[in-house]
Amino acid sequence: MALEAFSPEWAEAYKAEINKSDVYHQAGKGWKWTVGLITEAEPDKGVPEDIGLFLDLFEGEARDVKVVPPDEARQADFVITAPYSQWKLVMKKELDPTKAMLQGKLKLKGDLPTIVRFTKASQEMTECTSRLETRFPDE
Amino acid sequence: MLGGLIEANVSARPEKRADFDELRARVGISARDAEEAATLDFEGGHLTVSGGLLEGRRLTITADSDTILELSNLKIGPLGMPVYFDETGRSVVGKLLSGKLKINGMLRVGLLNRVTRVFSVV
Repeated sequence: MALEAFSPEWAEAYKAEINKSDVYHQAGKGWKWTVGLITEAEPDKGVPEDIGLFLDLFEGEARDVKVVPPDEARQADFVITAPYSQWKLVMKKELDPTKAMLQGKLKLKGDLPTIVRFTKASQEMTECTSRLETRFPDE
Repeated sequence: MLGGLIEANVSARPEKRADFDELRARVGISARDAEEAATLDFEGGHLTVSGGLLEGRRLTITADSDTILELSNLKIGPLGMPVYFDETGRSVVGKLLSGKLKINGMLRVGLLNRVTRVFSVV
């Protein structure tokens, strides 16, 4: 059954998918920081307000993934911000996140050398979102 | 992002500062798949990043976005040379040989190594 994108149930499923991934488990070793994902509102696409997702990732494991107020997500060690439509493209694998960062479509806040060192881990996290059965608000 | 990466790298790693302070060159980086390019003007401890590929470049790196970030994951060996025999190094060499990674000005080995050291986050 499809889960509403960025809902608490979706966040739980995302956490489970990350923790099922051997690729992430290996690529994420050494990662000890929290990540905030901010989905910027696009009211015409069914996202009336910003949404925050907080990921507590540690040494290849997702200890917690939860929907939080955006300001709480912005307190994470690394924060990635993009409009809803960009996140949707990333989750459907229609936009490569690396390209998106280089193009400035995903805005990154945090220590750049660290996040670049874990490119494989972040790529696998994108793969994990694409494996979830997701219902998007504008579909 | 690339300029920010280099500046953050140099701030966090004093051993890269010497290379950064010595670098005086115009370097181009072009991400084919992202259709993004930038010119990095290294001016002895100061970096200016401009959009597009400006004239007068001594080195130009052209590849897809993944490969450009892969270059920043090249390890630097004890003699200050990039390590080309681990997984990342072999992948970079393979892409160079297959043409997926193009480096114009590659014979400027000293410059290439210095830029690689400043760029490397490992």
